[in-house]
Amino acid sequence: MRLLTHNYLQSTVKGTEKGYPLKIEATKIEYEESPFDAEFLRSLIPKIDYSTLLFGIQQISEKLEDSNDIQEGISIPNLPESIENDDLQEDLLKKLHTVLFDIHVIEGDLVCPDTGRRFNIKKGIPNMILHADEI
Amino acid sequence: MMSEAEITIEITNESEPHHDNIVHNLERFDKGEPPRPQCTSTTDSVVVPGLQCIHDFITEQEERALIACLTGPHAPWAPAQCNFSKTGNVKRRVQHYGYVFDYETANVLRDREKEGEKALCPPMPCLPDNYKSCSDEKLSCFIQDAVKNASGWDVLAGIIERVRRYKFVAKDPMSQQHKGTEENIRSYSFINQMTVNEYKPGEGIGSHIDTHSAFGDGIMSISLGADCVMNFKSSRDDNDDDDDGNHGNTNMKKKLVYLPARSLLLMSGPARYTWSHQIVTRMTDCVNGKIIPRKTRISLTLRTAITSPRISTTTTSSGGDDESTADATQPLPLITSCEYPPKWRDCGVINTSCSSSLLQHDFATPDTEKNHVHAVYDAIATQWHHTRGKRGVLWPRATRFVKELPKGSIIADVGCGDGKYFPAVWEAGSYVIGTDISEPLLHTSIGSCVAADSNVAGPETRIVSTSKLGLNNRPAIAVADCMQIPLRTSSCDAALCIAVMHHLSTRARRIRCLKELGRIVKRGGLINIQAWALEQEQSSRRKFSGTDVFVPFHAQPKYLAKSSIGLSTIVEQKQDKKEIAKMYTDAYKGAQYNEEKDLVVFQRYCHMYKKGELEDLVAQIGGLEIVDSGFECGNHFVVLRVI
Repeated sequence: MRLLTHNYLQSTVKGTEKGYPLKIEATKIEYEESPFDAEFLRSLIPKIDYSTLLFGIQQISEKLEDSNDIQEGISIPNLPESIENDDLQEDLLKKLHTVLFDIHVIEGDLVCPDTGRRFNIKKGIPNMILHADEI
Repeated sequence: MMSEAEITIEITNESEPHHDNIVHNLERFDKGEPPRPQCTSTTDSVVVPGLQCIHDFITEQEERALIACLTGPHAPWAPAQCNFSKTGNVKRRVQHYGYVFDYETANVLRDREKEGEKALCPPMPCLPDNYKSCSDEKLSCFIQDAVKNASGWDVLAGIIERVRRYKFVAKDPMSQQHKGTEENIRSYSFINQMTVNEYKPGEGIGSHIDTHSAFGDGIMSISLGADCVMNFKSSRDDNDDDDDGNHGNTNMKKKLVYLPARSLLLMSGPARYTWSHQIVTRMTDCVNGKIIPRKTRISLTLRTAITSPRISTTTTSSGGDDESTADATQPLPLITSCEYPPKWRDCGVINTSCSSSLLQHDFATPDTEKNHVHAVYDAIATQWHHTRGKRGVLWPRATRFVKELPKGSIIADVGCGDGKYFPAVWEAGSYVIGTDISEPLLHTSIGSCVAADSNVAGPETRIVSTSKLGLNNRPAIAVADCMQIPLRTSSCDAALCIAVMHHLSTRARRIRCLKELGRIVKRGGLINIQAWALEQEQSSRRKFSGTDVFVPFHAQPKYLAKSSIGLSTIVEQKQDKKEIAKMYTDAYKGAQYNEEKDLVVFQRYCHMYKKGELEDLVAQIGGLEIVDSGFECGNHFVVLRVI
C-alpha cells in the first residue's frame, strides 16, 4: 500500500465520525524506485489531501525507527508543511514522488482514528471488510 | 364422514424401502435384460372417480419460466425435515408456500407463532392489486407478459390463478362422459398452499392419502420438466408397489396414470379421500407400450389448507344435546405477496452471531452470494485470470470512458476483479484504486501486465509502458465489499463498476451499491456501470428464461490446485485430480464434479437486468443524474454524474 492509496482510504465502521486519516502500524515496509513522471505528478497532487500525506509519513517514520523488519536504505525525504499546487518545483516533485509512489507498507495494520478498529495489511493489500455487526 | 379418530396417518416410509428397490433394480440390470415396469395400458379400463388429467395445462414457455423460478437461485428450499420413521431426512428437495406441510406430523403447520421457525415459509405468489378479479383475458395477457419478461414469480401467480378459476367438469363414473350440467362444474378458488417437489430420476413418494384434516377437497398437481406415471390404489393398504409396479393384494383396484410434463392432475372426491397415490422409485415408466426413462421432474401441488375440524355439540329442536359431526372447516387465511424474491427468513441472512434485530439496514450479505459469488470467485480466481483476464476482453465503452477522463484522475474501480481495466487507466495517465471482495482474485492483478518493450507476448490490453511498470507490480488494491467502499467521501474523480451489479441478489443491495458509488465520487464526477442484460442477442449462446439464474463456470482441477488461498496448503500437495475435485465439491456448496470432462462446475449467481431497470434503481437515489445509457455486447450500461 502506497501513501497515495492511503490518502483515499477511510474506515466506515459503525461509530466512526470521520474515519480518516487511518493510522499506520507497519511491520514491514519496502522501497522500490519507480520512474518519475513530472506531468503525472503535477496532475495528481492537487487531488490529494496534503495533511493526510504528512500524517502518513509521520506514522511510517515512527515505525521505521522502531521496527527491525524494514528494508534497508529507506530514508524519507523532508517535506514542507504546506505546498502551492501551481508552484511545484522539480526537486519537491521528486520528493513527493518518493513518498507517494515508492514507499510500500507490505505488512501491518491500518487503525481507525475514531474506533480503533484494526484493518490488516497483508502482502501490501489492506483488508477493509467489516463484520456484519460493524455496519 | 370419518371422525378424526378414525383417520390414520397414511404417510409411509419415504426412504429406506426405496433404497432397497433401487439396489434390486441394479442387480437385475447386471444380470441381463431389465424388468419392464407395469404398463399403463394394463389399467386402462379402471376408473378412479374424481381423478382427471388435463394435458398441456401450461405452455412450454410457461413451463420454462416456472422451472427457472422454482429451481433458480432464489428458490426457497425447505430446511431438511426429519422423516416420520426416523430413517433420516426426506431425500427429495421440497418447498412450501403459504403454509408448511410437516412430514413428521403429516399435517399443515397452521400457527406460525406456536410452531416457531419450522412453520416459516414464503407466502403464496399473488397478482398485483390491479389484476385481482380481472377478466380471464386480462389474466392471459398478464401471464404472457410475465413470460416475456422472464418474471417467474409473476408467471407462478398467474398459473395459480388460472387453476383457481378453472372449471372442472365432473365426469359420470360409469360412462366417463362429461355430465355437463351446472352442478357438476367445480372450481377450487380457495387454494392457499403450494408444495413443490423435486423428483430426481429414481426418486419417488410412498403410497399415501393426503391428510384429510389438513386439506380440503380438490388437490391439483402440475408436472414440470418430465413425464412420469403415478400409481393409484383403492384400498387403504399401506404397502407400496414394488419396482415392477406389482402389488400383493389382488382384490384391490389399481390405476396407473400417465402424467406428461405440463399436465395438471386433479384429485377430488374418492381420488382425493379414498384412493392412495404413489410414485414408484425406479428409473423408467411404461406408457402405452413405450418405455420412458425418468428425468428430473418438478411437481407443483396446489391445495386448500383448512382449519382443524372440531366435534361440536348442537342443541336439537327438542332441546336435548346432539353430538354432531365435525364443524364445517374453513380454508385457512390466504398468505400472499407479489414481492420477489419472497421474504420469509430474517433478511435472508443466517448469521448465528448476530440477531436480525441488531441489523439496522437491509443490505446484509445473503447466503446465495456467499456461496455462489464470493466463494466461487475465490476458488476460480487463477483460472479466471488466466482465461478471461489474459484474453483481455474489455468492454469498449468502459475503455473509452477511462480514456476520455482528464489526465491525473483518481478512479475507483469497484469490483475490479483481476484488474482488467488498470492498464487502460495507467496508460491514460490516471491513477486507479481497485477494490474487490475476493482476495484471491485481487492477487492475480499483481504483475499481470507485460512491459511494452519486452519480448514476452501478451494481449494488447495487458501491455503497459515502462513508466507504469511500478504501478503494475504493485497495483493500488484493497479487499472490500461494495456495500461499504472504504474510500473517502467525494474523493474520487470517477468510478467504474463493471460486472458487479449482476451479482447483487436483492434490490436493497443494488441501491446501496449505487449510493456508495455516488458517495465516493466528487460532485461533477462520472460513474460507469455495466451489468448483464436479460435480453441477450440472438447469436449469443446464452438464453435466460429467468431474471435470477445460476451461470455455470467450468473449472479445471489443475487451476484449482494452484489456488491455495482459501483452502489449506494441502491442496498444493495433492496431485490426484479427483482428490482435488472432491476437496472443492466438499468445500463449495453447489459445486459438482463432472468426471467425464474432468471439470468442477461452479454455479455463479447472476441477476439479469431488464431494459430500464438500472435507470429505475438510479431514480430511487437522489444526487445522481443519468448522462448516458444503452446496451452493448449483452450488457446494459449507465453513465451517471454526481450532482
